[in-house]
Amino acid sequence: MNRTSQSSSWGLFLSVLVVLALVAAACSSDDPADTTVGTSAPTTTAGSGSTDTTAPPATTAAPDTGTEVNNPGVFVHGADDEPSTLDPAQVEPGEGGETVILQVYERLLEIGESGPEPVASLATEVPTVASGLISADGTVFTFPLREGVTFHDGTPFTADDVLFSWERAMTMDLPDGAAGVLSDTVDSMRVVDDFTFEVTLQEPNAAFLNAVVPAMVSSIVSQDAVEANGGVVAGEFNEFMSGNPVGTGAYKFVAWNRGEDLQFEVYDGYWGTPANLDLRIEIGASPDIRVLGLRAGDYDTIEADPSFIGDVQGAEGVTVDGEGLTVEPIHIGFNLKFDPADLPDNDRIPDGFLNDPRVRQAFNYVFDYNAFVNAALGGFGDFNPHYIPQGIFGYDPAAPVYDQQDLAKAEELFRAAGYWDEGFSISVVTEEANLFEVAALVFKDSIDDLNNPNMEITVAAVAEAVFDDAHASDPVPYAMWVKNADPFADPNAYLDSYALPDGEWGEIHDFRAGYADADRVQTLIDSARVELDPAARAVILSEIQQVLFDDPMWLIAAQEGVVSARRDWVQGYISNPLWPRPSIRFALLDKG
Amino acid sequence: MQIRDYILRRLMVLPVLIIGVSIIVFALTRVGGSPIGVYLQTGMTQEEVTELEERFHLDDPLPVQYAYWAGGVLTGELGWSGVAAAPVTDVFLPKLAATMELAVSAALVAVVLGIALGTFAGARRNRLPDHITRVFSISGAAMPLFWFAILLLIVFWVYLGWFPIGRSDPNIFARIDHPTNLYTIDSLLAGDFGAFKDAIWHLILPAATLGYGATAIIARMMRSSLVEELQEDYVDAARAKGLPERLVLRRHARRNALIPTVTVIGLSFGFLLQGSVVAEIIFRWPGLGRWMADSVLRGDQATIMAYVLFTSVLFLVVNLGVDVIYAYLDRRVVLGE
Amino acid sequence: MVDVPAGPLPTRVADSALRVRARRGGELLLALLKNPTTVAGLVFIVLLLGMAVFAPLITEPNTPDAYQMPRDWGALAVPPGSPGHPLGTTNVGGDVLYGLVWGARTSLRLSVIVVSLTVFIGVTVGSIAGFKGGKVDEILMRIVDVFLSIPELIFALAIAAVLGPSFRNIILALAVVFWVKYARIMRAQIIHVKENEYVDAARVIGDSSWRIYFKDILPNSITPVVVQATLDMGNIVLVGATLSFIGLSEAGIAEWGVLVSEGQSGISAGRWWASTFPGMMVFLWALGFNLFGDGLRDVLDPKTETSR
Repeated sequence: MNRTSQSSSWGLFLSVLVVLALVAAACSSDDPADTTVGTSAPTTTAGSGSTDTTAPPATTAAPDTGTEVNNPGVFVHGADDEPSTLDPAQVEPGEGGETVILQVYERLLEIGESGPEPVASLATEVPTVASGLISADGTVFTFPLREGVTFHDGTPFTADDVLFSWERAMTMDLPDGAAGVLSDTVDSMRVVDDFTFEVTLQEPNAAFLNAVVPAMVSSIVSQDAVEANGGVVAGEFNEFMSGNPVGTGAYKFVAWNRGEDLQFEVYDGYWGTPANLDLRIEIGASPDIRVLGLRAGDYDTIEADPSFIGDVQGAEGVTVDGEGLTVEPIHIGFNLKFDPADLPDNDRIPDGFLNDPRVRQAFNYVFDYNAFVNAALGGFGDFNPHYIPQGIFGYDPAAPVYDQQDLAKAEELFRAAGYWDEGFSISVVTEEANLFEVAALVFKDSIDDLNNPNMEITVAAVAEAVFDDAHASDPVPYAMWVKNADPFADPNAYLDSYALPDGEWGEIHDFRAGYADADRVQTLIDSARVELDPAARAVILSEIQQVLFDDPMWLIAAQEGVVSARRDWVQGYISNPLWPRPSIRFALLDKG
Repeated sequence: MQIRDYILRRLMVLPVLIIGVSIIVFALTRVGGSPIGVYLQTGMTQEEVTELEERFHLDDPLPVQYAYWAGGVLTGELGWSGVAAAPVTDVFLPKLAATMELAVSAALVAVVLGIALGTFAGARRNRLPDHITRVFSISGAAMPLFWFAILLLIVFWVYLGWFPIGRSDPNIFARIDHPTNLYTIDSLLAGDFGAFKDAIWHLILPAATLGYGATAIIARMMRSSLVEELQEDYVDAARAKGLPERLVLRRHARRNALIPTVTVIGLSFGFLLQGSVVAEIIFRWPGLGRWMADSVLRGDQATIMAYVLFTSVLFLVVNLGVDVIYAYLDRRVVLGE
Repeated sequence: MVDVPAGPLPTRVADSALRVRARRGGELLLALLKNPTTVAGLVFIVLLLGMAVFAPLITEPNTPDAYQMPRDWGALAVPPGSPGHPLGTTNVGGDVLYGLVWGARTSLRLSVIVVSLTVFIGVTVGSIAGFKGGKVDEILMRIVDVFLSIPELIFALAIAAVLGPSFRNIILALAVVFWVKYARIMRAQIIHVKENEYVDAARVIGDSSWRIYFKDILPNSITPVVVQATLDMGNIVLVGATLSFIGLSEAGIAEWGVLVSEGQSGISAGRWWASTFPGMMVFLWALGFNLFGDGLRDVLDPKTETSR
């Protein structure tokens, strides 16, 4: 038994020794987060990701930092979606790219830090009738422009760039983009001189200054940069601009490491108050990574939503805000213009099903709002049946609301419309693993509550990129889908996009084939748009809310509550729900 | 002589197998939607699309299409990865390096531990240590990697906080150059010990997780072949002769037992390759496996096909290599199929 | 020269053949039960199969679709031991116990369907190759070799990805990947047995090929197939759960891989139960079949290297 299995014992012993050594090292190791002093933002090159930097670096989970901050000199934000493009002319409203465009680009006017009123930015003042910068008939706007502004590539900012940027968006007219926002309102534009820009609208529009001019699609890009890199081609996206934003904002783009992060540095030549810290946005971190990262101090702010905000509430060193509502209602859309060949094999939809207002009403009655708002959203949200979210001008609290599941009424409506016995089987497409999937599941369970075996909802939860493709198609290859609205500052921006028969979604989903009285809806919304007297406008908007309650084109699950989570050391935190998510202008923030 | 024939025969079969795999991959591309989807980038003009259709002969019969597709692959036309927003070939190498770093580390763990464990158990057949090792090694083979990884994550990352996830701390990572794209090597080359420690620290958890299954397989094989060896005549003869040096016996037996184990080491390589997909997802490792997982969910066919081709060729080559080594080691191997 | 009677074998010989089989069966069982790890595997299998078969009795089936997780919107992410949810709930209120039990049923469906398909296809192909020999054999075995060149999980992943995420496509993908081993086994067995004496004897007697096949070859070849099928019962579920975990299955169904995947997001907040329990079930299932299959192989064919 002496030298018997000595060799094998040696092997085993060595292995155990190694393991013990590791354990000992782990227990006694310094916090690996002790980086060397004063690391500036990594100076990797932009473009193709040759340096493969990592996913979120949750170094330790134990928050042992005292009053020091992690990552000094860099503000780190934990985002969820990866942008698909950083080009204002291409970005889809509500998509992750808008976050970046908000920081790197600027517009003539911006939504201010408080409230929906626009404030001056690249234009030096907000045009008004009184100042003569708006014509008497409300169609001609003159913008005096700021002098001494330079783009990140060093070229000077002039009115030519404004004309170029807006024309570019409208010429490219990309399907995923929001060019319609401009082309539906603008009639003509003119460079008066280097620092004066004039816009003539097709008709007076109460939404122009607060919803069109500050929109991300109206961002001002560097003409020189575009022309040196592919120029403007109608119907085609620009590969360079898609991945290399060149704007006038406080942050200058450094690098985009696909699937990992986006890096920005403080722009020294900024005309306004410079940013305090460089910026790094970490991409693709699932909620649990973001939660842990925030608690460990690896992130300074994170993209949060009601479904997991409870996990960071009360954590040491973390501040959570939960007041107020976002202006991005979560909705389920009805596609009246689907092609049966596109739908999943299991789908079975009777002819004219979604065209019948009673059917859409029935769906609105069937949904279990309480389950969604109070359980899934944890109470961070409220009910809202139609397209003027709470907090936007014109919202009428006295208007009727769908806020209760009413199965009896739903059944009655299905029977009246003649579909109760035949039933249906519909797939609802949604992004996976987020609130939208939860809304879809609540909807599915709500239909199950009817106890009609012929009625079935299937939840098709897909990767975000796959959903975006489907969502951007015309027609959409599903009969129903879940998403939230884009935030706008003006009621007509919502109505034009989501309720107008000839509006954006009206055309994609063929609202005219579904509204009981499409012309009436069209006329009402049109008149609200051109009505410049707020009191009169409010009356029209009230009527619209009643009409849309009776003839809903959407099922609005809830208006999501605002939740945000950040480290205590973040200073100067301001948030406006009208800014693209996460509703933060990082240039305003500091830490310490 | 026989061995050379054996090697030659295997080498000649190799291209046939590779072509066979490519046919399967080609068939998959035809099953899954638009054939040129793999080469399409958003925003291409109609002319560019038509040009692509001509280049790959999409109106011609399938065998012709295959020929052009295969030709494309051989010249490096692997298509456009939607996930990486770049041609597959551009992004492949850095991700491969990351996965190799992980897989090799796991393999080292598996080989050392597996052989030791297998020997330990095989020498004590059907006694308690053998049973325990057997349960361990079968549990390793039956262990769902995604579950094991999550368990380790919960214990070592969430609760104990000993190890980080991901491949590196970006601040440290950015400090050094990356000539080889292997973080451990590059940090040593740069003489940056802090970076090296960062690399190792991030490597431990995923490598241990990934290596666990391979350890089990290797241990099991080592154990059973050692048991077999110990039943051979020469062992009995040596014992009957009263050779006191049981160590010598053990050495001989063990060395002979190592031979089939070599094949299993090759097999476990396949195990590591597959495990890397799941391990990279859970530990946020930026390698081929995670790229493949993202591609699967987002319908990025180019990546999927390139990955299948690459891993199959790698698998074949490694297996061939292992079999050749085995043939050299064991002259008694019957060189039939 | 033996004087062999033409016609069926005398009953006495047939009887003793049966008795040999019965005795062998009894010996088999005893040998199996001698090994504690094999017994452990058997116990796991029995428990899990019991859970699967008696699922409707253990937990009330969900309406209208029993394989959809029942969601209790009033009890999201509650820990084990909560009223009405002994093992807790998931982030969307899915009862974890229900998921375990009906997930066992799902796993049973998956493994039985896939193993049946693969055994049938593999045995057929292998038999053709073994019997015909020559060119047919070579071609078929080349095809088998090609299939074996692609790592299993990756192959199944690619197929399921191309077909689209659904439970049915996972079954298809697994079937396409896993049939090859049976072809190899069957062919090897046939070639081995072809050269065996009693087949020659039977042929001399005048039994037709079919009879030889079903009476002599198949029963004698069945052993390694049974061992492989047992092991596959475990591994199919393992690979299937991995595919579901990666995301190739449907949302909200009672399937272990899907549950582990959906339960991941609660981990950092300490909600371990939603992914730990289902994951453990996958492990126990694979472990049980692997232990038992391993024991089976040890008893039946100690020298054969049927792969994992």
